[in-house]
This record gives sequence, C-alpha cells and structure tokens, in this order.
Amino acid sequence: MRKSQAALEFLTTYAWAFIIISVAIGALYYFGVFDFGKYLPQKCVFPSQFKCLDFSLRPSEVRIKLVNNLGEDVCVKSVGITNDAASPISCTFSPMPQGACAASEFQWNHDTTKDFSFTSCSGGGYISDTRTEVKVSMNYYAINTPSKPIHSISGKINGRVTPS
Amino acid sequence: MIVALTFVIIVPTTYLFFQYSRESVQEIVDAQVTKIGTSIIDSAETIFYSGEGSRTILQLNVPEGVTQASIMDGKELVFNVTSSFGESEIIFFSRVNLTTLGANCVSNVCKIPDLAQEGVKSLKIESINKNSVSITTV
Repeated sequence: MRKSQAALEFLTTYAWAFIIISVAIGALYYFGVFDFGKYLPQKCVFPSQFKCLDFSLRPSEVRIKLVNNLGEDVCVKSVGITNDAASPISCTFSPMPQGACAASEFQWNHDTTKDFSFTSCSGGGYISDTRTEVKVSMNYYAINTPSKPIHSISGKINGRVTPS
Repeated sequence: MIVALTFVIIVPTTYLFFQYSRESVQEIVDAQVTKIGTSIIDSAETIFYSGEGSRTILQLNVPEGVTQASIMDGKELVFNVTSSFGESEIIFFSRVNLTTLGANCVSNVCKIPDLAQEGVKSLKIESINKNSVSITTV
C-alpha cells in the first residue's frame, strides 16, 4: 500500500516535469537539433583520376565539375545518377556530342575539366533545403587503346540541396 | 544527470566520427592504389628502356577493396576497386607493352590474381624481350 502511494505521489508531483522535458525534446527534434548529419562537411568523392573540383545541389539540378587526370583522352559513353532511396533520384543528362567519339558520346581530353549538369531531378528524397547523398557513375574508354575496353567509375556527392 | 550529459556528448561524437572515417577510408584506398599503379608503370618503363633481361622487384601493400587487377591490350593496368558507393576501375596507361604469365591471359586481357588480394606483395617486373615487360608476383 505504501509503495503504490509513494509511486502515485511521485507521479503527481513530477508529471509536469516529464511533460515539459518531453515537449522540449520534441521541439529540439522538430527544429533539427538532433540532425547530426548537418555538422558533417559537404563532400564530393571521386577517384583521383577524375577528381571532383566542385559541385552544386540545386532544386531539380545537380552539377559537378570533374578533371580528367588519366593522362589520356577518353570518350564518355554514359553518365548516370542514382541514390539509395527506394525510389531513386531520376535526372536528365544531355551531353553535347563532340570530338572523335561515336554519336551520343563525347570526347574528354586529358588535363581538362568538364561540367556535368543533371537537370529535371526528381524522386529519391531530393528535396530543397535537406541534406542528401547522390551517386554518380560514368562509363568511358580510352581513345588510343586498340580494343577500346569500357571502364566505369563511381563517385558520391553528399551535401545540402540549396534553394537557388 | 551526469549519465544524460555523457550520452548527449558521446552519441553525436560517435556518429560524426563514424561518418568522417567512412569517407576517409575510400580516399585512403584510392591514394594507395594510385601509388601502386604509378610505381608499377614507372618501374616497367624504366626496366624496358634499361634493355632486355633487366628486372626489379617491387614490394607493394595492396589495400582492402581491390577485387581484380588486370592488363588490357598490353597498355592499360586496371584495378577494380569496390567502395561503399559502387565499383570503380582505376586505370594506369603504359607507354611500353605490358604482359604477365600466359596462363592468366584470355584474348587481350591478362589477369594478375595475386595483386587483387589484400596484403604485402612482391612483384617482379622484367623486360622479357625487345617489345614487352612482364609483371608477375613472386
């Protein structure tokens, strides 16, 4: 009897404190205080042979600037973007065919930079003012290699989608 | 109160540390593979121009994540590297013709299986004739 009375008195005395603490934690969560990911630096990670120099994540647009450090001229066959969401991000990439490559491919000379622009991005949790991670893949071949074997690279961009 | 404060500090710190280290691992692997590939190509070119019969042994530390090493067309040294965001091929171009044991070659692709296993490896680079440099593990 004494124990249950003590428990009831404890609750009636401190219930307001529990409620205030719960509301405070809820408010902190709502305002993103517990979103620790935002304290991480924004990053663009690619193999050093196609080093990422710069990137920007805008609503419905992803832009990356890469440099060809291979020491060889290449033809880029395809470039794709995705992420780990159940319904992955979908963008449009329309390169300008140029150089000695086949149609729908474009040439990328060594020691030069290239801007990749993915437009009309949607899905995959790609929402303005949120932190997101996208994966970029590219297939290419070296122009001067006789059998022109196709190679692939993958990179990752982790950053905040900033409203324009 | 002390326990709560400790958790408030430890949990975010652990999360941030884990995220930082995860991204750093990929950059370290990339740097190690780049160093290995550059060493092999530099040595192969040096040995080639030193003349037939020249050879050298390289000690290399292959990092975790390298799934395949191969020579394509005698010109490209290719390392397949798996990371948290997919598979990449790190390629090095040689100005001299590269080859390896004939048993590991199919068509124009020669694999170097031992170079795709994590750990310290000894690599023999030898100018086998006037046209080629052989790369084999010893």
